[in-house]
Amino acid sequence: MNPDVQARLERLKLTPIDGQALKKLVEAGLTWLRANQQMVNALNVFPVPDGDTGINMVLTMQSAYNEIDDLGQRGIGQMAAAVSQGALMGARGNSGVILSQLWRGFARALHNHEILDGPALVHALAEARDTAYKGVVRPVEGTILTVAKDAAAAAVQAIQETDDPCEILARVVIEADASVQRTPELLPVLKQAGVVDSGGKGLYFILEGMLRFVHGEPLDTPTATVQQLSAMNLENTMDSIEPGQDYEVVVDFVPRETLDLQKFYGELEKIGTSIQVGEGEGMYRMHIHVPTEKRYDPIDFVMSLGTITKIAMENLLAQMEGIDHKSSGTRIELAKVEPGKIAVVTVSPGAGISRVFASLGVAAIVEGGQTMNPSTKDILDAFENLPTDKVIILPNNKNIILAAQQAKDVTVKQVYVVPSCSIPQGLAAMMHLNPDGETEAVAAKMSKAIEDVTTIEVTTATRTVEIDGVSVEQGQVIALVNGKLAISVASVEEACLGALAHAHADDYELITLFHGEGLPTTETNRIVDMIRAAYPAQEIELQDGGQPHYQFIISIE
Amino acid sequence: MGKETTTLGTIHISPNALATIAYHATLTSYGVVDLAPKNLAEGIVATLTREPAHGVAVHYNGEEIDIDVHIIIEYGTRITSVAGSVANAVRFRVEKALGMPVHHVNVHVQGLHVSDSK
Repeated sequence: MNPDVQARLERLKLTPIDGQALKKLVEAGLTWLRANQQMVNALNVFPVPDGDTGINMVLTMQSAYNEIDDLGQRGIGQMAAAVSQGALMGARGNSGVILSQLWRGFARALHNHEILDGPALVHALAEARDTAYKGVVRPVEGTILTVAKDAAAAAVQAIQETDDPCEILARVVIEADASVQRTPELLPVLKQAGVVDSGGKGLYFILEGMLRFVHGEPLDTPTATVQQLSAMNLENTMDSIEPGQDYEVVVDFVPRETLDLQKFYGELEKIGTSIQVGEGEGMYRMHIHVPTEKRYDPIDFVMSLGTITKIAMENLLAQMEGIDHKSSGTRIELAKVEPGKIAVVTVSPGAGISRVFASLGVAAIVEGGQTMNPSTKDILDAFENLPTDKVIILPNNKNIILAAQQAKDVTVKQVYVVPSCSIPQGLAAMMHLNPDGETEAVAAKMSKAIEDVTTIEVTTATRTVEIDGVSVEQGQVIALVNGKLAISVASVEEACLGALAHAHADDYELITLFHGEGLPTTETNRIVDMIRAAYPAQEIELQDGGQPHYQFIISIE
Repeated sequence: MGKETTTLGTIHISPNALATIAYHATLTSYGVVDLAPKNLAEGIVATLTREPAHGVAVHYNGEEIDIDVHIIIEYGTRITSVAGSVANAVRFRVEKALGMPVHHVNVHVQGLHVSDSK
């Protein structure tokens, strides 16, 4: 043992543990628990995996400490009673309530005591255990209760050899740690998640904090831990990226000699943040977030410790942008289907178009379009589980109408297919949806609505051909008006303008353009401006359709 | 209740099944020493039949599931925290088993139990 610690222990031996000393111990337990609170939160899978065990225990201990913070000289019995009172008043969550019961038993055993000696400590820990177990009909083992029980048993063992309460506490802490490590064997849900019990770990930190205070060790740097490799949670680390966390570096390595974790963490903390270390079968995995200029530092550092087997590096900033982009594209809120109401199932080729459909009240969306026709089963699956019998299908493509009809024949539900051949037709039909109406009448109304809209589809020809009297060369841009080839030209803008003229767009009121996934924004804006200039009397709307293959799908109504 | 339609047919989950899940979640929740019959009649029935989930009532109105649990709490624990934990545990366990959201979990503290008279 370190000579300083030795000397400190010698000094403490002569000082009786009275109320003031208990106050210091409670403060140390609270401080150490707080320093490690995140780890305790992360372990929380039982009884409800809500990740609040650490914070609940800290708040309970804080309330206990607040109760004694300004108390002057007291005997240990009175001080413990005050701790118990504070813990009871502030008990939060399951683990907090159990913690308050532990303190209650502890305090009861010390009633009328002035100081805490070895036998009193053993008695108090046993009483704490008994009180805690009384609070539940069916105690679940592998939890904080088990750790309290094992701690009390360790104290009984220790008193056989020593009377010194500090020494007993040291043995108790060792056993509490071992007990925490055993919790997955007792509670299968912990084992499945690859964690130890959170409440038990919290109790361990409180006891260890007290011991660290006795030993004069610092209480502000959290314990460095190694997790099981399988429990390393690298997926969710993206949620909380802060400035200076530009790169994620994950290094697998086999150290030359046993890793001094505390030192290892210390070095890594100089380089970056979000440090995690996992271990499995002699191999370690280190995870860290670092600023750009330090992206190679963790690799150099780990290489000095042993053999690197694998390195993975990711640019988090670029990834974050990707996530932002994706999430805005995938968050589509479909209409909630109520029993007995009409639900509409539609086929959509792109995220943007799906979102427009969803905003109009579509209940289910099947992905598909020109070159990716969904099967009958895809369509069937989309509406079979909806809690209603009344279904209307919008295929939005000539080639999908048949699959939709077949889905109608297979199901027992009352299904109508509105034969929309394009996205604009589908959208026009949605305008006339009345979920409360009589299905056949609503379907008829929607079918009629698809005739009111003119569709233009702009795409690139994939082969050389002559259709409808228009000759097309491969690579040219073609425009179809209501499914018929209208023109074949060299550029997208010519195709749009030509097709609009072909469809007599100036006789209509509203032109809606859905731009496709491949078209650059600047190009899109340029073309839309040209159309605005050409059709000043019409209202022009631009929507991000996100559809593949078609640069533009245009609706004229 | 808890009706689900599949291509093979429908699955019905009875309120009794849910009550049993809620009952066990409640009993293993810390601070609960027993469940209580919600009235005298149920108390008599419970002693006669040993119904597996006394003290728990599940209501389903065709849309929402509400669960009532009537509990007796260990004296000396913080009642709001214990009741809150019971509500959490019941909701979590039932939703996990059922795959449907539970609308309300109402916890009624019917009494306190004093384990020790010291």
